[in-house]
Amino acid sequence: MSLHLNWSIREAHEPDLAAIMTLEHASFGSDSWSEANMRAELTEHHTYYLAAEIDDRLVGYAGLSKLPSSEQADIQTIAVDAQQRGTGLGRELMHRLIARAIELGATELFLEVRADNPIAQKLYRKLGFVRISVRQNYYRPDGVDAIIMRLDLNAYELPTRGRKQPIVLGIESSCDETGVGIVRGNTLLANVISSSMDEHARFGGVVPEIAARAHLEALQPTLRKALAESNLELDDIDAIAVTNGPGLGGALMVGVGAAKALAVATGKPVYAVNHLVGHVGVDVLERGVLETPTIALLVSGGHTSLLHVRDLLNDVELLGETIDDAAGEAFDKVARVLGLKYPGGPEIDRAAADGDPRAIRFPRGLSLPKDMEKHRYDFSFSGLKTAVARHVELAESRGESFSVADVAASFREAVVDVLVTKAVNACLDHNVPRLLLGGGVVANRRLREVAQAQCDKHGIELRIPALSLCTDNGAMIAALGAQLIMAGREPSSLTFGAESTLPVTHVQSL
Amino acid sequence: MKRVLAIDTSAGTSVAIVELRDGASGASDAVTLATWHSADTMKHAENVGIAISDCLAQAELKPKQLDAVVVGRGPAPFTGLRVGIAASILFAEGAHVPLFGVVSLDAIALAEAQAGRHANGVEQLLVATDARRGEVYWAVFDGQDTAGLPVRLRGPGVAKLTSVLEQLDAAGTAYRRADAHVEAANLAQVFFAQHLAGQSSHDVSALYLREPDAVPSPGKKVSG
Repeated sequence: MSLHLNWSIREAHEPDLAAIMTLEHASFGSDSWSEANMRAELTEHHTYYLAAEIDDRLVGYAGLSKLPSSEQADIQTIAVDAQQRGTGLGRELMHRLIARAIELGATELFLEVRADNPIAQKLYRKLGFVRISVRQNYYRPDGVDAIIMRLDLNAYELPTRGRKQPIVLGIESSCDETGVGIVRGNTLLANVISSSMDEHARFGGVVPEIAARAHLEALQPTLRKALAESNLELDDIDAIAVTNGPGLGGALMVGVGAAKALAVATGKPVYAVNHLVGHVGVDVLERGVLETPTIALLVSGGHTSLLHVRDLLNDVELLGETIDDAAGEAFDKVARVLGLKYPGGPEIDRAAADGDPRAIRFPRGLSLPKDMEKHRYDFSFSGLKTAVARHVELAESRGESFSVADVAASFREAVVDVLVTKAVNACLDHNVPRLLLGGGVVANRRLREVAQAQCDKHGIELRIPALSLCTDNGAMIAALGAQLIMAGREPSSLTFGAESTLPVTHVQSL
Repeated sequence: MKRVLAIDTSAGTSVAIVELRDGASGASDAVTLATWHSADTMKHAENVGIAISDCLAQAELKPKQLDAVVVGRGPAPFTGLRVGIAASILFAEGAHVPLFGVVSLDAIALAEAQAGRHANGVEQLLVATDARRGEVYWAVFDGQDTAGLPVRLRGPGVAKLTSVLEQLDAAGTAYRRADAHVEAANLAQVFFAQHLAGQSSHDVSALYLREPDAVPSPGKKVSG
């Protein structure tokens, strides 16, 4: 059997009738439609027919019917030349009819299939069709039953063309969150996070050894929860993705060791992926694609990075990053200075609610002209934290009272101002009309407000993924793994290590 | 529980597949089907996947043909120890086999006894391994019980070697010292003996024996 994958597909019209009838008779024999019926099908306004050809020879056709008044559509027929069966042509024709049905506003798609055609039934099942009833003796003259199947188009995900949507399990352990996420292509199936945040509270910041110990304990329950959430078993997974950096070395190693062993045990490939690029790629789970180019501002307790992403898998450039504390760390430290709890972000947000953000002019790190020459896209929060501490200590030493609300609001304003100004600068300088936010500090309402206002002002599109996808999570790692697989990338070997300072240019470690 | 994968990362990375077979005299023999060993104490995350897959290849086995996974719980320096335990947990999960934990120092004691360097009633055995920071992880053994298990009298603990030795000397104990590394095959043998004696354990929690190095700090002053 010769395989031809170079078919082309176009809409079918009346001039195709003769070729279609030849294939109709070859495919359905005594069960064939009449030429008159087929002509009507090809010419009706409520039908849509496709013809597949190789070198101008018809090798397949398929038709859809959708009345404008109805939300239901029907697959009328589908036939593939015997030589081309098993090439994926039937599936491709079905994908296109499904896409057309959705375009036409259908919410349900029905079809009938012969009870004695298990191959066709399997194809339809794989596409998501569910058997709803049987019509006895439907196909004459053989007296074969028809199985009626239905596809819920509201729940249907249009597949990436030509490629299977891989089911990927992602493991994240770069800081204090053990995350296991599962995706199918660009579709989120599960996202379970176990955080050791509470255990760090009395230390006022993440203690690496405590985080690593917590990962070890959380691994198995988090994995099991994610599988339960996705209604899948480990054997259903096509590949495993794991964060191998950047992050806390000891914490990363737990995930890396575990992911490799899981890969060997299940016989699945493993993809070692970059944590920061994962934060960027997570947008595919909400939008289906990552629109590029985009500037990405990633702000968390461990990172403050500004990226220029021209292509998620091939071209990620680090424009700048913090030269001392991460923004989230600054929130934690200032919270302590103000006698607030850990983590500092939400506490300072709360305290700042009634404060005046202009009460105290705290310094904007690396924003002076002389700094901007060398550090246009870099951040520094250490001086800001010290300035807040000095302000508080000075007031205390003088026996003066000070407003925690004003200090919190002014500090927050300084952080947000620098973050947003530099990110917007990056967009304008590089002529990139998009800004994507990621990382746990995105939970900060003021950051989101100011970013939105500044982006609106400059005609920049702002993307803020759902918070559960902004904080560290396994779903973003799984999603990046799926992107690599769909791009045809080879898996990583089993020899990669945990890289605490992995650069963003290393999207995948081999 | 005839065929087990044993993993220990308490020092380097040591992995083995060991099978329990009926011996000639009616006793069971533990036959090592595959081993992988690296003394590198920094590359556990790099090595553990290769080590497991290489052992499976050597033994020509698929993961699901194993009956159990056994892992060394230490005591050991934190970072490396965790890699082996993490790997064992998800390997067992992926292969759908049960997981058991063994104190790594017991495997060293068993190896010493099998090598004829430690016998019942002669002298005690001090097993001490590097705990860094000038300390050792230690345990004291006295021969084997009827199941063939090393009898751990004291430990595991972490202390300066000199203070452990002083205590033993003060008690007038006759002992010899072993400072060998753990071999995963010995870990499997300890497990087999435990299992036959009904003493095997699913506890795979890491024996850190030290609290994390972190002290709650009140925050420091920044101005004079």
